[in-house]
Amino acid sequence: MTQRVLSAAIYVLCSLIGIAAFLAPFLRAVVPQSDQQQASAATAPLLLATLVGLCFLALLFEVQGPGLNAKTVALLGILVAINSVLRFAEVAIPGPGGFSPVFLLIILSGYVFGGRFGFLMGTMSLLVSAIITGGVGPWLPYQMFTAGWVGLSAPLIRPLARRLGGEGGRGELLALIVFGALWGFAYGAIMNIWFWPYATGPAAYYWTPGAGLAETMRRYLAFYVLTSLLWDAFGAVGNILLLLAFGRPVLRTLRRFRDRLQFVYRPDWSHP
Amino acid sequence: MIHPLAWIGWLIAVMAALSTTRNPMYLALILLCIALVDMVVQRLPNGATPVFSRKRFVLLIVLVSAAINALSVHYGDTVLFTLPEWLPLLGGPVTLEALVFGALNGLALAGIFLAFATAQRALPTSALVGLIPRAFYSLAVVAAIAITFVPTTLRQARQIRDAQAIRGHRMRRLRDWLPLLLPLLIGGLERALQLAESMAARGFAGMHQREYASVAAEQTTTRLLMIVGLSMLLTGWLLLLAWGIQWLGVPLMLAGAALLLGRLWWLGRRVRRTHYRQLHWTASDTAVLIGAVVTLAAYLLPVLGSSRAALFYYPYPALQLPPFDPILGFATLGLAWPAVALWAKPAPAPQHTTDTRAS
Repeated sequence: MTQRVLSAAIYVLCSLIGIAAFLAPFLRAVVPQSDQQQASAATAPLLLATLVGLCFLALLFEVQGPGLNAKTVALLGILVAINSVLRFAEVAIPGPGGFSPVFLLIILSGYVFGGRFGFLMGTMSLLVSAIITGGVGPWLPYQMFTAGWVGLSAPLIRPLARRLGGEGGRGELLALIVFGALWGFAYGAIMNIWFWPYATGPAAYYWTPGAGLAETMRRYLAFYVLTSLLWDAFGAVGNILLLLAFGRPVLRTLRRFRDRLQFVYRPDWSHP
Repeated sequence: MIHPLAWIGWLIAVMAALSTTRNPMYLALILLCIALVDMVVQRLPNGATPVFSRKRFVLLIVLVSAAINALSVHYGDTVLFTLPEWLPLLGGPVTLEALVFGALNGLALAGIFLAFATAQRALPTSALVGLIPRAFYSLAVVAAIAITFVPTTLRQARQIRDAQAIRGHRMRRLRDWLPLLLPLLIGGLERALQLAESMAARGFAGMHQREYASVAAEQTTTRLLMIVGLSMLLTGWLLLLAWGIQWLGVPLMLAGAALLLGRLWWLGRRVRRTHYRQLHWTASDTAVLIGAVVTLAAYLLPVLGSSRAALFYYPYPALQLPPFDPILGFATLGLAWPAVALWAKPAPAPQHTTDTRAS
């Protein structure tokens, strides 16, 4: 019981830090800034990156626990390899905008095998595919973190799916499709936190000292519409199409193997 | 070969330098250094071919970034043309200053991308996996398994495609990919099952009965420390951001970070690691690190009697010639040291490494 409370506290704290990081540029606009704070605005993205990075490490360790068992390691390793091949195909033949085939397996494996597995699936898929395709960069922790959240949140739709007709039904697929579409947009919006302060540059704080919340919101909206709306729309539509075309057969397969992987290895303590 | 940790030091210096300055002179110097290093890295025997064209990518980033800034920031004296005001969000004067500043931002971003691509090209995949912290031992195993199975999966994908083609399968719609995806998935899962069985049989992550209690107690401590560390980070950051209380915010954040990282380091210490090919820290690694530190110090600290004011160049409100400080310019050249270190060494005999990036 204590362990569950402690574990939940870590999830809550990491979510709080994530939300605070997401709102940081707006917070900065609301609070009147002293000259000293103005000067530190240039290092704000760096500070944010450090904070999110540390939070990510803590969450990753909590999800990993004292160590994964052989079944989880093997299953994760192989599924991540398949996802990396899909990403490889995506880099070689670029699809339109934010479309990426990796989210299909991240969402479905998180939904079938649970949030922890989904988190690791998202994180490791992005890590391994970046190593293979040459996409390692300062954006990688953000990508890993966000893709991890996609998988972590997938089991949240289980109650809804159950109400809509349960396993293998059309309602379940519908719930998954809506979920995938929402994450298509949310993934882009979250990735923008990393990109936005860099793209607008620290100057945004210099030439309009004390730009109000409305102005900052307006600028973010302009930035979002210009850079992300169409891009993210492709991501969302891609998720919808992939889930529509492959969702049910892939779900059936994953469920079959979930059952087959139920075997338990019981050590014999009588021979020390 | 340069040690992975020296590469990380170089990357940190490049990133810090690129995010501190928007002065085109220094940006150009930094990019020149990266290009020089990249040129030398391409001569390395293990340099994998990049998946996409860099020149086109850099051009794209610069153009897109310039366009975005020009269309969203309507500030500056030199008005190029005016978009009608009724256009939501975009309406207003488009200025040369905003265009230039956007392009400079794009240049800095492209520099970060190029630097990482270069370092990654110079390092073998095994070194990258080796950088995963020891506390994340099981995740490193997952990464190693995944990387090992990528070539197999690719081969299998090709076999399935050929087999389906022989049977007359044609790819017309999205659904036609299903006969490819499903066998790939099922084949992979079968292999995962075998792997899991053999790993369990060999006692992977096995634990003696005696150890259970101590592991559980340790996990409670870890979780408590994580909670305290995260709370300190969050509180310190909010103090800093919302109220500007630096004397309390900064130490709180530092202490929180130290607590988190310290615990992870302590947990990782016990994981024993064996090396197939031991990497040694050499004098040229130290030189690379010194070069990076010199640049870092010149850009971040008021040392060497240089005028750091030259770094903080902004084209607003009217475009003007950027200032240039020769001492800072010279310090920037510290970033070119990996090129010197790699150039000086005689080309090593080709090694038989299994590099999955190339396949």
